[in-house]
Amino acid sequence: MPPKRPDFYAMLGLLRSATQEEIKRAYYKIAKRLHPDTNQAPGETELFLEVQQAYQVLSDPARRSAYDATLGPEEMTLPEVVEKRILLSRKEIARLPESQLLYVLVDVLPTEQQKQALSGVPLNLCLVLDCSTSMKGERLDTVKASAVQIIRQLKPQDIFSVIAFNDRAEVIIPATRHQGNTHRLETRIQMLQTGGGTEIFKGLQAGFDEIRRYANPNTVSHIILLTDGRTYGDEPQCYELAKQSAEAGIGISGLGIGSGWNDIFLDQLVSYTGGTAMYVSQPKDIERLLNEKFANLTQIFAENVVLDFQSTPGVSVSYAFRLQPETAPLNKQSPIPLGPILRDWPLSVLMEFLIQPVSAGQDEVELINGKLEIASAALQTAFTSVPVRLTVPVKDTISPEPPPASLVQALSKLTLYRLQEKARAEVESGNYEKATQHLQKMATHLLAQGERSMAKTIMLEIENIEREKKFSESGDKQIKYGTRALLLPGERKR
Amino acid sequence: MIVCPNCKHQEADGAIFCSECGMQLIQYTPGDTHRFDSATGQLDEVPVPEPHVQAPAWISLHLLESGQILPISDRMEFTMGRVSENQPIMPDIDLSPFKAFDNGVSRLHAVIRNNAGNIVIMDLGSSNGTYINGTRIVPNIEQPLRHGDIVALGKLKMQVVLS
Repeated sequence: MPPKRPDFYAMLGLLRSATQEEIKRAYYKIAKRLHPDTNQAPGETELFLEVQQAYQVLSDPARRSAYDATLGPEEMTLPEVVEKRILLSRKEIARLPESQLLYVLVDVLPTEQQKQALSGVPLNLCLVLDCSTSMKGERLDTVKASAVQIIRQLKPQDIFSVIAFNDRAEVIIPATRHQGNTHRLETRIQMLQTGGGTEIFKGLQAGFDEIRRYANPNTVSHIILLTDGRTYGDEPQCYELAKQSAEAGIGISGLGIGSGWNDIFLDQLVSYTGGTAMYVSQPKDIERLLNEKFANLTQIFAENVVLDFQSTPGVSVSYAFRLQPETAPLNKQSPIPLGPILRDWPLSVLMEFLIQPVSAGQDEVELINGKLEIASAALQTAFTSVPVRLTVPVKDTISPEPPPASLVQALSKLTLYRLQEKARAEVESGNYEKATQHLQKMATHLLAQGERSMAKTIMLEIENIEREKKFSESGDKQIKYGTRALLLPGERKR
Repeated sequence: MIVCPNCKHQEADGAIFCSECGMQLIQYTPGDTHRFDSATGQLDEVPVPEPHVQAPAWISLHLLESGQILPISDRMEFTMGRVSENQPIMPDIDLSPFKAFDNGVSRLHAVIRNNAGNIVIMDLGSSNGTYINGTRIVPNIEQPLRHGDIVALGKLKMQVVLS
């Protein structure tokens, strides 16, 4: 038996097919954690030197190929960290001279072994609170109460910071381990005052600066933005910051309070990091939603899973939606941030593929060929990718097997969500008649499914659109986030 | 290409729901219908009546394509249509085992009534209309039926057998 050599690929958490770019990224991530200036545990400096040696070899193409030649056939060098379950709407696709659709439901969950080994990961949480004039009264009071509740739930190793912003930002609590001294923090929260406008970028920037000081691969870093207003003109800067956050492994979630905030902006902002935007219709819901969000953060197995794939000619993702743990529409272009995996709550994503006519000689179609990049503080390796390749055979005649029931069920709700998207776009372009028709169809289906209150909301909104030629301030959000909530699988719905 | 039977919107092959009206596009296989029957326990009797009916049937519908004969005895008035998931509409006679969906039968298509021996049919505002011997009848107005008439619900043809 040959002597056991250190596997450089395993050390960096990479597959042998890794590109130079991936090698570099993986190295930087691990090096940041293990560098003698920042490492904590004994022995990490030695590990750092080994990782450095691995990187020196792998980053040089000539040395890498020499090293590769010494390796035996590839075994699975990576421990299986996640389990994937994939359901297709059809097991095979027909050879047709026209384009066709295929639906794929992907579940990603930690393996039983990983779940057992999971221990508490420190949290690095930053609350970015809108303190503009419109927050005055019950809204800010509930926000304060909810923030204090969260402070009381923090563990000693958790890092916590709070930013208040209106047209400027103020660091209320700088990022720090509070070490049990929560009283002082609570007082600072209680002293928050309202006034001024809403400039979200300033708040986010300040939050980012605080959280970044402790952001490392061993903590779950997350910004929660609470706002009730619209920001004007700084949206592109906010998106840019969200992209930076995603790169630094910092998640962003948003809570929109009342009806005046810009849901399209918030949805877009959080999508870069795989986060979620939530709609808070009444101040009393702030507490519940914020606590729920906090509970989810403490349950995190992986902060974000990114699906990175090469597009196959003739195949495109025409729609992607996360069903759980938190429902949200997803980007369609690779890389797609899919979102977090919780310990007991798998990540579940529904995708629609548009497949162009299949050529005569082709006997299979490749839907996805790429990898899932799993960013997880709970896992030992800083950076893990799991290869995913999904192909479907092409047949001249296909068996008329019905699609899996769970897929059809999810899709029935998603169809309603997409009707709502259509109606919004139609109101936007002035096509009111078409919009009300679509909403009418939605209401009919919702009634048939027993969702009476949602159907009623839509009926009222139809009247409003006919009269005012636009959505009411709260109606569009109620319908959007209401239909989104229907998509949560049964047992998780409240 | 799939054409939504409800709103005529064209969907790419493989679609499961219509993106225009939200209707489910997968057709009901007989297996599906059976499952539905046993779940509700109500529909068994109507589409395929017992072979040993006590009262003599006053009308039978002879489905031309499948050759099956549906005798009706126990009621003097019955609606015809197609049971569809997600819809609370229940016709007295569910024609979905006879490719009602393909043939453009509406969920509540037409009613046949026995007014003391005068047998009439009325279209209930169906999408694809009701025809007697090839002539489309005006919706919501009763038309007399005679022995041997060919009635078509959309494209689903049946011969009326009176006794």
